[in-house]
Amino acid sequence: MDLVRVRDDVWGREVLAGVSWDLLWLVLTAAFAIIIAHLLLMAVLNRKARPSAAGKKLARHAGVDRAFHWITAIATIVLLVTGVFPIIGINFPWLTPHWIAGLVLTVAVGLHVVRSLFFQDPLAMWIAPSDLKELAGGDVKTAKYSLAQKGMHLGMAVVVLVVIVTGLVLFLAIDTPWWNRTNSIDEATLGWLFLLHGASTLGLVGLTALHIYFGLRPEKLFYTRSMIKGWISEHEHAAHHDAARWSPEETR
Amino acid sequence: MTSYDVMPATELYQPVNIEDATALAARLGRKGWLLGGGQDTYGWLKDRAKRPDAFIDLTGIDVLKGIRSLPDGGVEIGSMTTITEVAQNPLINEKFTLLSAAAKTVASPQIRNMGTLGGNLCQDTRCWYYRRGLNCYRAGGNICYADSPEGMNREHALFGASRCVAVTPSDTAPALVALEATMLITSASGSRQVAAEDFFVGPATDILNMTALQADEILVSVRIPRKWADATFYHEKVADRNVWDFALVSLCAAFKEDAGQITDARLVAGGVDCVPHRLREVEQAIIGQPRNETTGEAVKVRATSAATTLNYNQFKVPLMQNLVLRALRG
Amino acid sequence: MSYLHIGKNFTPPDIHGKVTGKARYAEDFRVEGMVYARLYTSPMPHARVISMDLTEALAIDGVIGVLTADDVPEVKAPGSPVLTNEPVYVGDPILAIAAIDEQTAENAIAKVRVTLEPLPFSVSPTHTLRPGGPAARLEGNVYSGEMRTLEWKQDDVDRFLSGREPTGPAASEWQFGDLEAGFDNASVVIEESFVTSGYAHTCMEPRSVMSYWQNGKCHVYGSTQSQSFVVPFLARMLGIEPQNLVYVSEYCGGGFGSKIAAYPVLALPGHLSKKIGRPVMLRITREEEYYIGSARVGFQGWIKAGFKPDGKLSAVDLYIVQDLGSRQAGGDASSAGGAVSILYQPEALRLRDVPVLTNTTPRGPQRGPGQNQIAAVFEPMLDKAARELGIDRLEIRRINAPDSSAKLNADQGPVTSAYMVEALDKGADLWNWAQKKGHSRRRNGSKVTGVGIGQAYHDAGVNGYDGLVRITPDGIIHLHSGVGNLGTYSYAATTRAAAEVLKADWAHCVVEHGTTEAHLPWSSYQAGSNTIFTHTRANHVAALDLLDKMKAIAAQVHGGSADDYDIADERVFNAKGNSMSYAEVAQKAIELGGVYSGEVVAENLNGITKLAIAGLKGSGLIGAAKDELPKRGTAPGLAVAFAEIEIDLETGKLEVLDYLAVAECGTVVHPQGLAGQLRGGAVWGFGMASLEHHVYDPQNGLPANVGFYQTKPPTYLDVPSNMDWAATDIADPDNPVGARGIGEPAMGCATAAVMCAISDALDGHLFNRTPVTPDMILNHVAGLPQSFSALGINEF
Ligand SMILES: Cc1cc2nc3c(=O)[nH]c(=O)nc-3n(C[C@H](O)[C@H](O)[C@H](O)COP(=O)(O)OP(=O)(O)OC[C@H]3O[C@@H](n4cnc5c(N)ncnc54)[C@H](O)[C@@H]3O)c2cc1C
Ligand code: SF4
Repeated sequence: MDLVRVRDDVWGREVLAGVSWDLLWLVLTAAFAIIIAHLLLMAVLNRKARPSAAGKKLARHAGVDRAFHWITAIATIVLLVTGVFPIIGINFPWLTPHWIAGLVLTVAVGLHVVRSLFFQDPLAMWIAPSDLKELAGGDVKTAKYSLAQKGMHLGMAVVVLVVIVTGLVLFLAIDTPWWNRTNSIDEATLGWLFLLHGASTLGLVGLTALHIYFGLRPEKLFYTRSMIKGWISEHEHAAHHDAARWSPEETR
Repeated sequence: MTSYDVMPATELYQPVNIEDATALAARLGRKGWLLGGGQDTYGWLKDRAKRPDAFIDLTGIDVLKGIRSLPDGGVEIGSMTTITEVAQNPLINEKFTLLSAAAKTVASPQIRNMGTLGGNLCQDTRCWYYRRGLNCYRAGGNICYADSPEGMNREHALFGASRCVAVTPSDTAPALVALEATMLITSASGSRQVAAEDFFVGPATDILNMTALQADEILVSVRIPRKWADATFYHEKVADRNVWDFALVSLCAAFKEDAGQITDARLVAGGVDCVPHRLREVEQAIIGQPRNETTGEAVKVRATSAATTLNYNQFKVPLMQNLVLRALRG
Repeated sequence: MSYLHIGKNFTPPDIHGKVTGKARYAEDFRVEGMVYARLYTSPMPHARVISMDLTEALAIDGVIGVLTADDVPEVKAPGSPVLTNEPVYVGDPILAIAAIDEQTAENAIAKVRVTLEPLPFSVSPTHTLRPGGPAARLEGNVYSGEMRTLEWKQDDVDRFLSGREPTGPAASEWQFGDLEAGFDNASVVIEESFVTSGYAHTCMEPRSVMSYWQNGKCHVYGSTQSQSFVVPFLARMLGIEPQNLVYVSEYCGGGFGSKIAAYPVLALPGHLSKKIGRPVMLRITREEEYYIGSARVGFQGWIKAGFKPDGKLSAVDLYIVQDLGSRQAGGDASSAGGAVSILYQPEALRLRDVPVLTNTTPRGPQRGPGQNQIAAVFEPMLDKAARELGIDRLEIRRINAPDSSAKLNADQGPVTSAYMVEALDKGADLWNWAQKKGHSRRRNGSKVTGVGIGQAYHDAGVNGYDGLVRITPDGIIHLHSGVGNLGTYSYAATTRAAAEVLKADWAHCVVEHGTTEAHLPWSSYQAGSNTIFTHTRANHVAALDLLDKMKAIAAQVHGGSADDYDIADERVFNAKGNSMSYAEVAQKAIELGGVYSGEVVAENLNGITKLAIAGLKGSGLIGAAKDELPKRGTAPGLAVAFAEIEIDLETGKLEVLDYLAVAECGTVVHPQGLAGQLRGGAVWGFGMASLEHHVYDPQNGLPANVGFYQTKPPTYLDVPSNMDWAATDIADPDNPVGARGIGEPAMGCATAAVMCAISDALDGHLFNRTPVTPDMILNHVAGLPQSFSALGINEF
């Protein structure tokens, strides 16, 4: 199995062409292996009763952040479907929805970055040394976000940023309503761009699979609900969070 | 970029029945290469620009050959029928002269004698960059050399471009789309029928292939329904040379008229899009109109309303319009 | 004058082989132990070879050896070496590999790893002339006798491209007459810029070569236009003496200027064979032929021409930027100036030119190099002047036509003879110009008719070469022809001048040709339309030498003086009734030896002829002489064509309906041969006018057309089924049979006639560009701008 694809450029020199799509199957297999292992592990270990969703509702995600999350999620899914399906032989006109979704993602991520850096507490998502004790296992109560959540966010942030940056440069290489493609990007550079775009896509495929899985896990479902409705219950808060580190306000 | 001239050693299978052929196609997948008359194929192979592991020669399979009339009054043409036969066949010359006229303009007499209808329909584009063996989008790469700021793209597309701006080179394909033909396709896992219009695929959908055929599928035959039999046809191909040359633009048109008015029409152009390009706007505009110069003048611009020109192909705009005018002038 | 052979058709001896397929071309030869070579050619338009890794290639079973640039003589820029480490165009051969069969050789080529460093390149002359523009070669961008770098100011470039009088410095210049006075006297001044595209020679037979070494001699089977002329040059390229070269080129499937002499790849198998000790066959593919097979020089230019009120051309100012491709080419621009100087006899003319190298396929002379490009653009301008002056188009040509007092070129030298008015009149009469000019702009639906007259010229005859004729004791007359068999049959037709002198029955004549083993005299290059003029002279003098010797022998045998003898029916006789057959004379010559049988040879003969005679000595009576007949000027080959075309304004398609060419080439030596030249030339001319051109992608230097279907030479359906011809048939005084050459103007007149007819059909519009393709006509009719860039060359 190859890691990358190489091709001859216009003058017969070997240049990178992108990631090897064999890796797609590897990533999918790995993601499913993790999921299955986790499923099994949880079936054995996690027999705790889940906290009640009744009682006071504490605010977790503001409306704009929830909107941001779902817009990003939809854009990402569209990007993955339009980007990956043709590779596995499911053909349809994918390019236009792909770049439109890419632009949506870019704008959403851009706004999110600005908002979180300047209007929110950027450190809320920052992995602090204190988070690391979660690694030791046991029932560590966390601040607003757990280490796992922060890790997922960090991973997503990296691959999404790479996908966006490379995607934007590649965007210059196709015709759009606003411009005709340039050919100022030489083929070796194009190859690197496609490699990074492809590799981050692979990352995105894996992380998305895991993210969806964890979002749907019974014990984590309340977080997903909070991403839809905005709140968690006081019991859920008490069970998972350290009030000293995160004490959300009550909401309706 | 060495100019190769000798085919590399390649396996050759010569099945004599369709089951063996489909089994081979299923086994070999994209590593196999279906072979008709070889007129498109051998160039690729001699240039070593494409390297299949094995050929599956279909010309020994009798059921793939010949032209027969269908109970409904249409005709069925086996995919391995030569283009010369298509051009000369009495049935086709009687009812579907649009196809025979188009077939007569394919390539050169020698190529028509060897080349098959199936091969002609499934042939790859003639974009010169791609034919040089360059790794452009269509070859699975990351770039189009033709649609670039200084690309030499006189022969390229006005419509349907999506990264790739190559055009269909086939002269028979537009005729079959105009005649609303159906393609019979078979594979080891069953058979299916696809309308000619859906058989050809543009780069937006599949930049690597020109047809909807999967790797294990074989085009068995083409069925032309009775519908357009005896309609009024117009065919014209404009190429630099009068023989042995691909169309700059070709037009296949079929009209049904009643009491001096067009009641139904199909106009399909070759050489302007990756697929045979239907002129729907024109078709709609001429229903209920008489077939004459005035109608032609009035509607011809509609042929190109969606055209996007490249560096060197704007001449195709007036050319298409003129061909529409000529088709309507009759 | 009535002739036995001259002016009569005959069956050239190579015809049977050609029609039956028995003819053996270079690639048909096989010898014991022969291996096959294939080329590795440059993927880049300009590069330096940094390193080569041949390990994998040479490890393949069946691979015998490799030849690289290090194994062959270096050649100074911008000459063409056999192989190179500085490829200067896509397709430039870098190395060759020999293997037991072609497939193995190609498999090995596929495994060759060459690391190339890309160098600056350009496919457009004006692009390289820009300030800081890329030079096609490390040594510079311009070649005029030597390599140099010439840079124009951006303003000069812009000005030139916009069609205004060029201000950029030229590389060379010549002039005669008072230009300023000429323009002052002019009542009409036409000023136009123009482009004529370069395009491939498209020889039917690619330049395949086979070679081997035996007993210290190198045997080369090649495809060249010339035969003897090739020998010294090829020998030098192989590093051997001419006597150690056996050169066979019995048939040549077309050269058109690209196979005049020893081209580089002709020496490749010889070098490779020497290195590996096996016979080597190098088959050249069609695509390779488009790389190494040469092409016409492209022109980007500007013309200003002044006409006096009576239609006389008073002054011409001509500026040409030549696209020489990547390697040395002939002086097309200067030839263009020469053609204008003779065809229209202007009072003053200035030619300025800039011969620019580009990273495109190497150029060389192609049928009417320079003359035919300028005919294509100047003749429609002549029509424009005629229109403005209110003079008939035939008439303006008659007014300016050269006669035997014509002058030409910078030195305004004389011609041997010229009868252009007669040619124009003959054509006008046969073609019925008076009536057909009325067809001009006639509409037929979407089609419009155009009629045009085109003229062309080439310097068509040289002198000073040798003839060799021999009679063997069996009575056979051996006409040794060092002329190459380039498809015109002149190798045989010229020998008929000897048969004529000898009053020989053609059935008793054998034309010896096609291989040095046939002992052939030194001959001119088969190019420049010279052969008919040059070698009827050489054959004539050789036959006279033989005749003198026959008479001398007869006098020795039967007494009296040589002058007492005459010949008839292949016998030498005197008034007394003594006679000897040619066979007897030949037998006697062997007995006498000395000058008669080639034991003693004339000093003034060329070394190649001496070698030939050395091989023949003692085999019969030998007549050999160098042509020292008087030649008082340039022997002009002139032609005029009349064409009627139809342009479909809706499709942009052009059809030639009716065509007549009139040759002004002195006495007609071989009518069928002349007809072939005029018709074949017309097909070429139509191709130049409407179909063929180089296209290169400027971004990466790739050629777009490397196959027949891409270069689009005219097919039989692109030419009229009937093309008429005629000739003035007026003897030239400086040729013993009255002949001058014709091959090149036969094409130029057709190009010009079609270009004029196109302009005529389109209300006098001048495209000033060859070829005029359907897209150009469509854009013009639709009022759209043309797609190519201003004065753009090597593009669609
Ligand atoms: C110089 C030149 C000029 C030409 N000019 C023209 C022209 O003017 N107009 C025009 O229309 N064409 C033109 N052609 C193309 C030529 O006509 C076609 O290539 C020819 O008709 C192909 O037929 P074939 O049977 O020889 O194809 P092949 O080379 O045998 O096959 C072509 C392709 O079709 C596939 N294929 C063949 N049969 C089947 C099948 N039954 N099912 C599925 N796939 C199949 C093959 O795998 C291959 O990919 C030209 C070709 C050349 C070389
Ligand atoms: S037009 Fe299509 S086939 Fe041609 S270079 Fe572009 S991607 Fe390749």
